[in-house]
Amino acid sequence: MRNVLAITQRELLSLFFSPIAYIVTAGFLLLTGVLVIVTDSIAPGKPATLREVFMWTPFVLTMILPAITMRMISEEYRSGTIESLMTAPVTDGQMVLGKYLASVGFYVVMLATTLVYLVILAIYGNPDFGAALAGYLGLFLLGLPFLAVGLFTSSLTRNQIVAWILATVPLMLLAWFAYYIVASVQGWLRVVLQQVNVMTRLEMFNRGLIVTDSVVFFLGSAALFVFLTIKIVESRRWR
Amino acid sequence: MIEVRQLSKHYGTRKAVDNISFTVGEGEIVGFLGPNGAGKTTTIRVLTCFHPATSGTARIAGHDVLSQSLAVRRVIGYLPESVPLYPEMRVREYLRFRGRLKGLDRAAREAAIARVVERCWLNDVIGRPIGQLSKGYRQRVGLADALLHNPKVLILDEPTVGLDPRQIRETRSLIKELAKDHTVMLSSHILHEVEATCERTIIINNGRIVASGSPHELRERVSGESKLIAEVKGPHDDVVASVRKLNGVTDLRSETQNGWVRLTLATSADVRESIFKLSTERGWSVRELRRDIASLEDYFVKIVAGTRDASE
Repeated sequence: MRNVLAITQRELLSLFFSPIAYIVTAGFLLLTGVLVIVTDSIAPGKPATLREVFMWTPFVLTMILPAITMRMISEEYRSGTIESLMTAPVTDGQMVLGKYLASVGFYVVMLATTLVYLVILAIYGNPDFGAALAGYLGLFLLGLPFLAVGLFTSSLTRNQIVAWILATVPLMLLAWFAYYIVASVQGWLRVVLQQVNVMTRLEMFNRGLIVTDSVVFFLGSAALFVFLTIKIVESRRWR
Repeated sequence: MIEVRQLSKHYGTRKAVDNISFTVGEGEIVGFLGPNGAGKTTTIRVLTCFHPATSGTARIAGHDVLSQSLAVRRVIGYLPESVPLYPEMRVREYLRFRGRLKGLDRAAREAAIARVVERCWLNDVIGRPIGQLSKGYRQRVGLADALLHNPKVLILDEPTVGLDPRQIRETRSLIKELAKDHTVMLSSHILHEVEATCERTIIINNGRIVASGSPHELRERVSGESKLIAEVKGPHDDVVASVRKLNGVTDLRSETQNGWVRLTLATSADVRESIFKLSTERGWSVRELRRDIASLEDYFVKIVAGTRDASE
């Protein structure tokens, strides 16, 4: 565990020393700010809720979250630092887990910056804090597999832009495509799309419902991709 | 301390390392010498558990590099050839991070950092970001990292490449000093490097060990085939004929210039005295008479060239 935390700490330090952390956070705040405006969430006479903002945030996350993880492993391969890391007494699993925890930690901080909207709502209205809390929990849980996918693609290439595209495109398809076409397909495809349709899962959280099978889905898919990342890193030793 | 048995590493169909075996005893300082692309780094990467071998085994301090990889990684300090470092970190931050990875607790870590910073002359740059440091300083940061947990075995891949002459000398003396309480294995493609620092040399080419021994032993092997150069003034044919008859001359080449006959002899014994005596008997003048002992450099070039010919 000490090794995992050492990696996490270094990764966070690197993130905050590079412009990427600030660009990503600024981009996220800007986009969610735009969402607040276009959804008329803070307007006289409207219900004091961030439900619509939360509804659209996953689309932003498909682009923003892979930007946090894109360099985490690819950069180690590109710069050769993977050699000193892999010859230190650290297992590949500890390394990947440490990096993953760093990305989750960063995401939590980034998500926390949007609390400002809730504060504004609380000043001018009377928001349902329970539903807001569930909404935040939903976004947090949704981010876990997104970050894991981002870390996974980062382990596949030494080019961070390639890693970003490899993660963003499938995540966009998942978030948008599944949501819009699930009703128009039949058979097994429908069953699969219903399961991976993260938007519908998120809707439940926005209503203030914490559904166990969604929690399991988010945690399980995150664990799957973290596991795959570890396997990729291990297998690259053999090449 | 290091025990390598029939180790091979293939990249696809290319044999980067082909069935090599060697051992390095405790406290020894061994140089791994070979031209670029000979398989030095590949071997070192197997020893440091960076990648597994295709076949064969390697043990370090009794631990197998494949099955007891973490134990091996705990006892070695490794300086990779390219000295990969995180440019955004400061030297102190980097060493703290590495110390944590190597399992040192806070007190031990700070003590270790103070020790290696002193040893590697890093005091001036401890608070600077690594990205701003010169190549020489980066090399020292890499070395400091390798020494951090006071490892039994130090493996240094091309430790002086890219340094200026003064830094090379400093690094060499540091390595020599380290050899007092560590087993050191260093690789180099420069002969002087190995000759200046190591007790024993392993010469590798095309993935195979072509020679090994102390610099002295290696030189002994070549001195048997030493050349002798003589320049005398006399009738060409007479000179050549009489010198050829001398005991111990195995081959002779000659050329004439302004009445001087220049002889290049391959000899199995030292015939300088006989040539001198012959010359005085015949009344020839002598202006040069010397034995050209093959240097280790020649030997190195010769075996490297030889194995290349043999394999092509």
